[in-house]
Amino acid sequence: MFTTGSKLLLGATVASLVATLLYGILAGGLMGTIGLVSATAALGTLAGIVIFTRDANVAADDIDAFAGAAAATDRPGGGMWPLAIGLAAVTMTVGLVTYTAIFILGLILLIAGVAEWMLQAWAERASSDARHNAEVRGRLAYTAEMPAAAAIGLGIVIYAFSRVMLGLPSKTSTIVGFAVAASLVLAMGTLVGTNRKVSAPTLTGLFAIAGVVLISGGAVAGLNGEREIEIHKTTAYYAAKGECGAEEVSADEDASQTVAGKASQAAEVTLDDAGLTYVKPGDLVGRTDALQLPRSNANNVVFRNETAEPRRLLIELAPDLEGSPPRMCTQLVKEGGAALLTVNFAVPSFDPAVVDNGGYAFTVPGVDGARLEVVVP
Amino acid sequence: MSSPAGPVPTLDRVSHRSLRRVGLVGAAAAASVGLSSCATDAPQDTWQPAGENAQMIHDLQWPIFAVAGVVGVIVLGFIAFIVVKYRDKGQPIPEQTHGKAWLEYMFIAIPAVILAAIAIPTVGVVMALAETDDTECTINVTGQQWWWEYDYEVGPDGTICGFAPSAGEASPIITSGQVVIPAGTKVLLRGTSRDVIHSYWIPKLNGKRDMVPGRVHYLRLSSETPGIYAGQCTEFCGLSHANMRMETIVLEPADFQTWLDNELEPYTSPDEGTLAKQGEATFIAQCARCHQVNGLVDDRGTDDPSDDTVVVSYPDQFVYSGAAPNLTNLMMRNTFAGATWDLLTPECRADVWEASPEEFGAAFLRGVSDDCLNEIDLREWLRNSPAKKPMYADAEMLAETDGKTRGMPYLALSEDQIDELIAYLLERK
Repeated sequence: MFTTGSKLLLGATVASLVATLLYGILAGGLMGTIGLVSATAALGTLAGIVIFTRDANVAADDIDAFAGAAAATDRPGGGMWPLAIGLAAVTMTVGLVTYTAIFILGLILLIAGVAEWMLQAWAERASSDARHNAEVRGRLAYTAEMPAAAAIGLGIVIYAFSRVMLGLPSKTSTIVGFAVAASLVLAMGTLVGTNRKVSAPTLTGLFAIAGVVLISGGAVAGLNGEREIEIHKTTAYYAAKGECGAEEVSADEDASQTVAGKASQAAEVTLDDAGLTYVKPGDLVGRTDALQLPRSNANNVVFRNETAEPRRLLIELAPDLEGSPPRMCTQLVKEGGAALLTVNFAVPSFDPAVVDNGGYAFTVPGVDGARLEVVVP
Repeated sequence: MSSPAGPVPTLDRVSHRSLRRVGLVGAAAAASVGLSSCATDAPQDTWQPAGENAQMIHDLQWPIFAVAGVVGVIVLGFIAFIVVKYRDKGQPIPEQTHGKAWLEYMFIAIPAVILAAIAIPTVGVVMALAETDDTECTINVTGQQWWWEYDYEVGPDGTICGFAPSAGEASPIITSGQVVIPAGTKVLLRGTSRDVIHSYWIPKLNGKRDMVPGRVHYLRLSSETPGIYAGQCTEFCGLSHANMRMETIVLEPADFQTWLDNELEPYTSPDEGTLAKQGEATFIAQCARCHQVNGLVDDRGTDDPSDDTVVVSYPDQFVYSGAAPNLTNLMMRNTFAGATWDLLTPECRADVWEASPEEFGAAFLRGVSDDCLNEIDLREWLRNSPAKKPMYADAEMLAETDGKTRGMPYLALSEDQIDELIAYLLERK
């Protein structure tokens, strides 16, 4: 009745039971008793399984039992998915107490791990041929795995490369670094393309070295942080500080002299030696009377400079109005150039605050008399 | 032997009877559709042009419609002929052929010729409708949920649309719902939008033009015939798209001059001690934060002029589009709330809409009087505007617009306040 293998486990179960009784009666510790009861139950369960499977011992002359025995069938393939699911559970737990993004990452890993594990289990039951089963799995899984792996791999490469580029000490060194990296890739490509004798292991090794260098470089650069990058200030920044004068500021360096919004301009204001004039779409000649612009809407005003000196167009808006800048100006516009100014008037020109401020008007700093009244009804 | 109920209907008899019934129903439906197109009282009928631009479209569309009709009749007739002539009568299957070059060439050539013949005048009309060089009057039109704003610019010669005010200097005019233009004047609407895409269409005066935020679009309007021409927004623009209407008022030049002078008249405060005067205070307290009335001054309850403050609205702080209708001369308009409801009673409305071109100007310029006011709709509107016109005006559901409403919110006005406001608004003309 009792098989060879089960005798050991049965003995251990009985010994554990005795130890449990003795300890429970004599010592009476709760934790120890629970531990011994658990050990007894576990040993008893294992003994029962071994008895039930008859030690997995198949008689040599029992052909049917031999063919159906576990040892006669292929062992299920090893898989990393249980490990991935465990990692996902840990990541989600960490995410719950730290950042939502980490939790979402863990969730994605969990879903992917479960799906892959299920797919693998399904494929392994397709036939008794392990190779065929692997093909079955691959046909379905590769459609998702390959793009995902490519995206992740590319993402790692791009991110690591960007860290390296941002970590280099100057803009010049990034150019040099980029050129060196591009040259290396080109040289490698040329070498592989022209020399057919390069073996697969050699190529794999080269790619592995390149990958390690890139990822470790990216990690080091990422930990060191980005170099100090100057943030270019806009005309809005200088306008808020009241610096919309005739002098050049950093926002004027390399300023575009072309216009993006010319297809939908509310007016085109031109500065020439006679001062400021404007035309609205449909006007045939320049006007100097008050320019009427609508309220609460984006007005694209194009400023053209026909004078020899670089100039900018400026308009003072309602002071101390929440949500509205106190003034706006274009960049310095060179002779013959143009710049766009998009103005949104929050209050009409008869608002007392605007009236007290001298009303709305376009002016040109440094040019006396260049003033164009703006009416916002 | 026949059955007691008479002869059993054969399949042929049944199908013929069914066909006859279907044919009768179809003919009745076609007749109703056909007859409905003969309606003369159709304010948005594209087949009744009343201006040169709409006439150009009409002159283009009716021959195309006729050609399309002829082609349709020929094709349908040919199909019917084939179906009847070659129906299954038990004859053997005829010889099958594949491809007949001359027939296929014809199938390509005939549509190509027709399309080319249509394209040439179409391009001409499209280009003519895009002309702006002959503009005599430019009016800005701005769409927002769910009404249209018009502002008239003062030209370099100090006139508005070529008309100088009879007294004083011209200043910009802002109105809404109805745009008033002089007869025989080539008007150019310069349009845009403050929130979403709208489309401007007065069918009797011109085709449609989309109004896109951040862009400027142009549309020509003109008519020789004084009258009122209806239209509506034709680009789905939200909850009350169907309630976004507009009208163009065409006045004889002399009548336009009268209208212009009236618009430019300075603000007159109601007499002290009247219900309208109380309405002015209520308007300042309840309405003026969004609605502008030009010239309105808050005396802050004192007789000292130094305490007077010009009342300026700040709709950009309360309304998503940043605008609300200017109510300076509300009662010189026939409609309110996006031209959806009449300010006139049905009888008085008929006097305006059915007036002859010669009498139209006088009828329109009477504006809205006490006995002609459609108080029912106006009162309902003031009582609870979102209940009357669907709008996004519930403060609890406005997180995505930072609490700003789309349209007019519920103001919880008392009946006394509504009485006061109506009395005040009645004087706004």
